[in-house]
Amino acid sequence: MTSPRAIELAALQQELARAGYIAEPALAAALLLMQDLQRPLLLEGDAGVGKTEVAKVLAQIRQTRLIRLQCYEGLDAHSAMYEWNYQRQLLAIKLLEHDERGLQRKEQDIFSERYLLKRPLLEAITADVAPVLLIDEIDRADEAFEAYLLELLSDFQMSIPELGTVHATQRPWVVITSNGTRELSDALRRRCLYQYIDYPDYDKELAIVRKKAPAVALALAQQIVAFVQGVRRIELQKRPGIAETLDWTAALLRLGVSSIDADGAERILDTLSALIKTRDDRAAFPREVIARLAAAC
Amino acid sequence: MLSAPSASLDARAADRLAGFPAFLRANGFAVGGGDAVQVLRTAERVGVLDPQVLRLSLQALLCGRADEWRRFPELFDAWFLPANRWQKPERRDSAAHGLSGAQPGGNAARRRDDDDAIRPRQAASRDEVLSSADFRALTEREHALDIEALMRRLARQLKHIRLRREVRARHGRRLDLPGTIRRSVASGGTPFELAWRDRRRVRPRIVLLIDVSRSMVLYSFFYLRLARALSAELGDVASFIFHTRVTAVSQALHDPDPWRAQERLHLIAQGWAGGTRIGESLLQFNREHAPRTVHARTAVIVMSDGYDTGEPALLSSALAQLKRRARRVVWLNPLMNQPGYAPVSQGMQAALPHLDLLAPGGDLASIGAVLPRLIDALH
Repeated sequence: MTSPRAIELAALQQELARAGYIAEPALAAALLLMQDLQRPLLLEGDAGVGKTEVAKVLAQIRQTRLIRLQCYEGLDAHSAMYEWNYQRQLLAIKLLEHDERGLQRKEQDIFSERYLLKRPLLEAITADVAPVLLIDEIDRADEAFEAYLLELLSDFQMSIPELGTVHATQRPWVVITSNGTRELSDALRRRCLYQYIDYPDYDKELAIVRKKAPAVALALAQQIVAFVQGVRRIELQKRPGIAETLDWTAALLRLGVSSIDADGAERILDTLSALIKTRDDRAAFPREVIARLAAAC
Repeated sequence: MLSAPSASLDARAADRLAGFPAFLRANGFAVGGGDAVQVLRTAERVGVLDPQVLRLSLQALLCGRADEWRRFPELFDAWFLPANRWQKPERRDSAAHGLSGAQPGGNAARRRDDDDAIRPRQAASRDEVLSSADFRALTEREHALDIEALMRRLARQLKHIRLRREVRARHGRRLDLPGTIRRSVASGGTPFELAWRDRRRVRPRIVLLIDVSRSMVLYSFFYLRLARALSAELGDVASFIFHTRVTAVSQALHDPDPWRAQERLHLIAQGWAGGTRIGESLLQFNREHAPRTVHARTAVIVMSDGYDTGEPALLSSALAQLKRRARRVVWLNPLMNQPGYAPVSQGMQAALPHLDLLAPGGDLASIGAVLPRLIDALH
């Protein structure tokens, strides 16, 4: 029996595929639930498995803007929420010096929206159409910022002392990604829907390569994916993600490689820098290993 | 509280659904009391006819971390599918394995008993041993206050590293213009009070690697107590134990309830007090844990006697790798207190070139004595 929800889910998957993203049913289910419960979605997984891409494609299919907040160590509330444009304020103070108006009026003028620089978070909650707010790599920001964010995500309002409280006109679609370099707080996890994104299996990765690099012949695409899947089984410091697969595909195309086989190990070696990103990992790929992997494709 | 959203659901189905969060909680999931409402609301939206869709939706709703994500499908089936309805909750030990990343059942006791009688107690052995060590020492009252005091001292003296990034500060080297303008509001636009910016300071993150092999049996409890006291003082401490494998114990040590901490350590103590393979353990650490836990502001403290049954070259390259990733690598060796000790064991010889500090530290007094050097080395 097919429930209405299952049909909805399949439709969303197709829509995502049309937009160029191959999604597993689990992700589609989470995106639907995100709409129902109006909760943020927390995506975890290794680097390069397509976490950021989810937000981009979500913005695309909802036909709305993507507002991105890239987190980094030491990110503070001012660069994430809002800041006063103090150069213009200084200038205005100078110009108003000989103004006849009262102090109160002047102050109101200086702290009006004209002088407010909207940073991603404020921009997201004041947008007319609900945008997709991507909070990328939250694990890089400090715990203090995480706590700050928590407050915003629960009420979707922000208070600016000089202006008053700003309420969200539309709740943005919030997508949070994390690479797991730091343990996130339970409070944040509890407030979000969760999705763990793993490296794609053979079929999914093949579908992605076909979608993103339509110029590649099917046979070559199959070989490329089989090779990358083989590389991922080897213990590496940095396993190649989907982005690396696509880079490598592009490199092979550029060199005019038409098939991966044991004889072509030389040419594979030339392009391996697209796939393997550390020196120690590079050492794990002498010619014999590559030939063996290629022969298995 | 639960009646409102469940109006359209069959009463039995609603009961079953409402009980699911508690079942997950019994299996070690971090789900709260309010989740039952969310589960019913979700089920109402999604429908209960298609178990696959319901499972995917509840998985997104109720999971919070990767290990929960992986265990969820099984637990869902156990709770909702009739065949397994009466299956007992998963035992806690497998939950602990999930947390620690250890492979369950990977090490049976391969050692023969007569073998044990021949081998001297202090020597390192190659075999993994399945033994249940006595963790009561972890919460022993004796010295508890002294250890806490010492770790507090370490935490306090661990000065902050200066970063390039600037933050607001009371006194600093650069004027903070936006801040100054904001303060000038009170004085009608004249900046009487200045705001400053200065370079941010943060404490280094500390990663403890504690050797719990048999030759360390006299010291490892002491080190574990240090680790527990230190992680209570500092927020950013990650602890690992190793013998022939590396196991994360931060979460177990961090448990505020000392009895539960003991119990959790019991569960991850497979192979405890067995042989030592420091090099292999460090390599495993580099591979599985270092990318997440060790960054450029991390101080790694290895606590081991250096008796290694593995290849010295392996240890050397593993430490070199670790050294490239971390800010400092410090080694505390409990045997260095003994008169006439020289770091001549193969393991120590291999390790020495990569260390920022090799210091004694077998008991409270010696760690107290070495504290200034330790703090210097961590900067």
